[in-house]
Amino acid sequence: MNTKRLILFVLLALGALFLSACSGQPLVNTWPGLAADAERAYISSGSFIYAVDVQTGSEVWRYPAEADSKILFFASPVLTTDGQLLIGSAGSEHPFISLDVETGKENWSEPFNGGKGVWVASPLVVDDVIYAPNTDGFMYILNLNGKEIADPVELGGALWSAPVTDGELLYVASLDHHLHIINSETLTVTETISIGGAVPASPAIGMDGVFVGSFASKVDFVSSAGVSTTVAEMGNWIWGTPALNGETMYYADLDGKLYSLDLTTNRQNWDNVKPNGPVVASPLVVGDQIYIAAEAGTFIALDRDGKIVWEKTPGGKIYTTPVLSNEFILVAPYQAEFALAAYDFEGKQAWTFTPQE
Amino acid sequence: MWETLIIQPLTNLLLWIYDVLGHGPHMFGLAIILFTIIIKLITWPLNASQVKGAQAMQELQNDKEWQDIQKKYAKDREKLAQEQMRIYKEKGINPFASCLPTLIQFPIIIGLYQSIIRALSATPLDMLNLARTVYPFQNVENIIPLNSTFLWMDLGRPEAVQILGFGLPTLAIIVALTTWLQTKLTMPTSSNPNDQSAQMSKMMSIYMPFLLGWFALNFASGISVYFIVSNILGVVQYAATGRANWSNLFGGGKSSTATKK
Repeated sequence: MNTKRLILFVLLALGALFLSACSGQPLVNTWPGLAADAERAYISSGSFIYAVDVQTGSEVWRYPAEADSKILFFASPVLTTDGQLLIGSAGSEHPFISLDVETGKENWSEPFNGGKGVWVASPLVVDDVIYAPNTDGFMYILNLNGKEIADPVELGGALWSAPVTDGELLYVASLDHHLHIINSETLTVTETISIGGAVPASPAIGMDGVFVGSFASKVDFVSSAGVSTTVAEMGNWIWGTPALNGETMYYADLDGKLYSLDLTTNRQNWDNVKPNGPVVASPLVVGDQIYIAAEAGTFIALDRDGKIVWEKTPGGKIYTTPVLSNEFILVAPYQAEFALAAYDFEGKQAWTFTPQE
Repeated sequence: MWETLIIQPLTNLLLWIYDVLGHGPHMFGLAIILFTIIIKLITWPLNASQVKGAQAMQELQNDKEWQDIQKKYAKDREKLAQEQMRIYKEKGINPFASCLPTLIQFPIIIGLYQSIIRALSATPLDMLNLARTVYPFQNVENIIPLNSTFLWMDLGRPEAVQILGFGLPTLAIIVALTTWLQTKLTMPTSSNPNDQSAQMSKMMSIYMPFLLGWFALNFASGISVYFIVSNILGVVQYAATGRANWSNLFGGGKSSTATKK
């Protein structure tokens, strides 16, 4: 082999190596979003949003019809009472769109393109107002036709989670380690509270305040007046939203521990319940069972004493919070053989959904 | 293995520099610049050996004995290869000495790109992976999320300056220009028209600016900052060792042997 060929071969090999290492936009790789109503489940996964019949597991529609490399979805879509499905793109182009839940067709004549960053957070819809937090640090205020009805609220940091509301105040968490309390009437920020770590998920609404899990490895209660109190500390980050059920709060951390905190006594109901490795998804409480999706690809039902009732292995990795729809609990694994699975309360798998090419 | 040996150390080094700098706005860009300087200092001996190897190969092209065997064994490739190896041995030249440093630096470039993307954590999964990448001694809760702003850029995204509604990719242009500058200054001129390595260098000076400019256009601007600083430091290194071929820039091309050794 002469020198010229050798150098060309080396250059080609290096080029291939470089391209294989860098190919694809960085935003492609993350877990899907999931929402459901009584009839359909809606999965946002990469280039598409799929509507899936909850009874049969068959695809009802997908949006868009053809993949567009500039558009990516992974926020959980949000349903409105007037039949809209709202979601923003996290791709290199990032429109915020509204789809008809029945057909998957776009509702608005033009998508909202005012966000400077991508959309990782789901919006919050209250009456006919959409509160849409963006990674540019602003929360945009739209009506149900996708038109801005007020100036965006500047909060700072990347906003990755949906706001929550008690009817009067909006609570918005930011990755910049802060929780913001906003008056929903005047849209003024009344309090900004330091949490001590990034907050990737929505807070949980409690009595006169919210519970916030964070990368500071603790859960804080922040009152509507902006007073923060740490209610629990653990060994690792809390990713998901704590699940409140009566006087009990369930939450899990990246060490894989599931906690059950009695809010009346501030004592743990059990000790050292570790279902199966790190947990990113929020717990789901239905009836007497607590459902946990672990990163290891297992889906577990526990009773109120922390005992495992059943355990299933959909495969892949599970980061998306399971969703209840009628008599099924829907699980959306990441990088598994299928995109969605439905389980009944006894753990029997009803169907799986795999998008067709 | 790639994760443990490349991504993890590079990401932690970047985060450590960022933390030391005070993790405010623009600090991640400064961290990339400092990181590039550190990498350049570490690979300085390798680069020096690359320069030396390229110089030796260039001089060989003008060697009379070398040119004679090219003619003599033009039709006997096996014999030609044997003779070439003999001359390499006699003159103490390693024909791969100029390629090896490039080969070693490539994983660093790829690793840096992946480290920047990981550190900036544009997606939830990136953030989760970052948590697992960081060494225990790092104060990870405090420093993430990283502030990806640097001057007018978001280091996690391709850069373009909006002028009259048109996105001008200034960084990609600077990357292409500095790459062209570096390859021009490091490209020896040859008096031998059959000099294959000179022809290859000429091709490189055309293709590399386009290739790296294309990367800068399409990938996170943090990697463009690395390319620019790396190119400038490369020029500085060549100039400091007296091997920069300024005649390629300002005309009056002299043979490579005329450059300072």
